[in-house]
Amino acid sequence: MNNLGLILVEAISAALAFTLARFMLRPYEYTGESRYIGLPLGFFSLGVSYVFMGVALSFSDPLIIERMKWLQLFTGSYAFAFLATTYYFSSKPPKRNTILFLQTLLSILVLGMVISSLIVFVPPAFALPSYKTVDEYFRLLNTILALYITLYTLRYHALKPDPKTILAPLGYALLAFSQYSFLIWSLDSSFSAFIGAHIIRLASLLVFLLVSYRAFITPQTAIHENSDPE
Amino acid sequence: MKIYRDMLLSIRDESRKGKIVLTRIQQKVNVPFDRLKIYLSELHELGLIQDGSSPKLTEKGRQYITEYEKVIDFMKRMGLTY
Repeated sequence: MNNLGLILVEAISAALAFTLARFMLRPYEYTGESRYIGLPLGFFSLGVSYVFMGVALSFSDPLIIERMKWLQLFTGSYAFAFLATTYYFSSKPPKRNTILFLQTLLSILVLGMVISSLIVFVPPAFALPSYKTVDEYFRLLNTILALYITLYTLRYHALKPDPKTILAPLGYALLAFSQYSFLIWSLDSSFSAFIGAHIIRLASLLVFLLVSYRAFITPQTAIHENSDPE
Repeated sequence: MKIYRDMLLSIRDESRKGKIVLTRIQQKVNVPFDRLKIYLSELHELGLIQDGSSPKLTEKGRQYITEYEKVIDFMKRMGLTY
């Protein structure tokens, strides 16, 4: 797969992620609860990370490539952090302390994302570790966070089995597997892991798009139950 | 927002039975009566219900409920607790 093919894959992934971010904003829009803001932030950050990688693939200047890859790394990991935060707080009762803790955590994540992005352009006095090393650790972190969300949504499904709720754990599992494949590629330079990671990532985004389509676009009978399976 | 939605759903359910009785809505939503009147006034200002002693949903109110239920369904599909 040459660069043009990879750029196209990143562009499609970004388009899907941004489209999903728009759908993911609806829970926050309609409930007004800040615990759901991490969902659109997460998918938006994912889209931004794919854009950065696409830009890195488009240029030949080593400095631009390096900066874009670092930005892709940071935004990608923060995306998973936002998503994991959303699911973690989703099941917590909206008490004052919980909301305060959530807002503090979200603020720290946003601030961290801004600061780490600035570090890319204004290198600190200390030497940064190699991109490859950091990439491996971040991929591992992303995998763990995505697995956490997968288990959370799988448990949600298991508590009250419903065909509607099986796709979300599938989507997050594919996202976790994609990150794992990227990690394998980083460690092993395995070409099949590299290709597989991109394909699986696209598949996961399409799964979420299907979930959104079925919820918002497909005509359905009136829904009255909103009971918490827990 | 949840209170608004619960009130709109109650008004819809009550309107299907015939005359809308405010005390029945109050019982379902579980708020003091004076608070209920304030919420009804706010819903009217938002254009979601018609004014009057027996509130009815406007078209905008019906659309709001439909969209809200889609959002709840989406959250359920995404494994989010609400």
